[in-house]
Amino acid sequence: MFGDLRGLDPARAQGMEWVRQLFDEMFPGGGAADIRSVPSGSFPPINVGRTDDTVRVYVFAPGLGAEDLEVSLQDNVLTVAGRREAPAGDEARTRFRQERFHGDFRRAVALPEGLDIDRAEARFRDGVCEIVLPKRDELKPRRIEVQAA
Amino acid sequence: MNEITRRDADAPRPAGEERRQDTLLPAVDIHEENDAVHIIADMPGVTRDSLVIEVDNGVLSLEGEVAIPMPEGLSPLYAEVRAQRYARRFTLSHEIDSEAISARIDSGVVHLTLPRRDTHRRRRIEVQAA
Repeated sequence: MFGDLRGLDPARAQGMEWVRQLFDEMFPGGGAADIRSVPSGSFPPINVGRTDDTVRVYVFAPGLGAEDLEVSLQDNVLTVAGRREAPAGDEARTRFRQERFHGDFRRAVALPEGLDIDRAEARFRDGVCEIVLPKRDELKPRRIEVQAA
Repeated sequence: MNEITRRDADAPRPAGEERRQDTLLPAVDIHEENDAVHIIADMPGVTRDSLVIEVDNGVLSLEGEVAIPMPEGLSPLYAEVRAQRYARRFTLSHEIDSEAISARIDSGVVHLTLPRRDTHRRRRIEVQAA
């Protein structure tokens, strides 16, 4: 799925993503931003995809496990919250780079209407939490029989 | 576990690498402790099998493929992670013992330990009989 995402971004030249991001950050405005959109690089990154009968949310939270992530859904807004601890270690050590996020986080994404929350499932593997939200029956694609005239 | 492989500079690259793909730059923490440099990299979705760490000509390269099983026909609605490959390279200084680098991955976090060469190794000098 992640390989096909270029389609979401029609104006983008290959390998020039960082330039686009730089300009987006330097010159905000222009188009209207989603009210819940966040600057790129927010932790944890979230992808949302859909199949015929489910909506799937992928939360990229490396180093966390099922017990560290709190997932809730209210009025089609999915909230993920948790905390990633700073790596333990001697304070006196020499640090060269510290790019990884640590601390508390809380993020929300709006999902399409008509999901069956009671049948939602979430599982964690390799630092990615996959949340599967089945669509209610009335939203699934249906075949319409064409009657002979 | 140890995924470090050595490669000759002119060895042919695997066929998959011919295809240029977008790559993500994993966030890393680097610190020095206990006579070793430690690199911790966030690579969510990467498994032990999809992670490749190589040292070639003094350059450490860290690459991994997002290996999350996904259903057929999944179409994106919204995406912040827009590639399925992570890659990052670092040049190593000569005091790093590239033979002794070790790595482990847990929950999408890679931890590399790069020991420094033991320059203070005690050596015994044989005294020749006169």
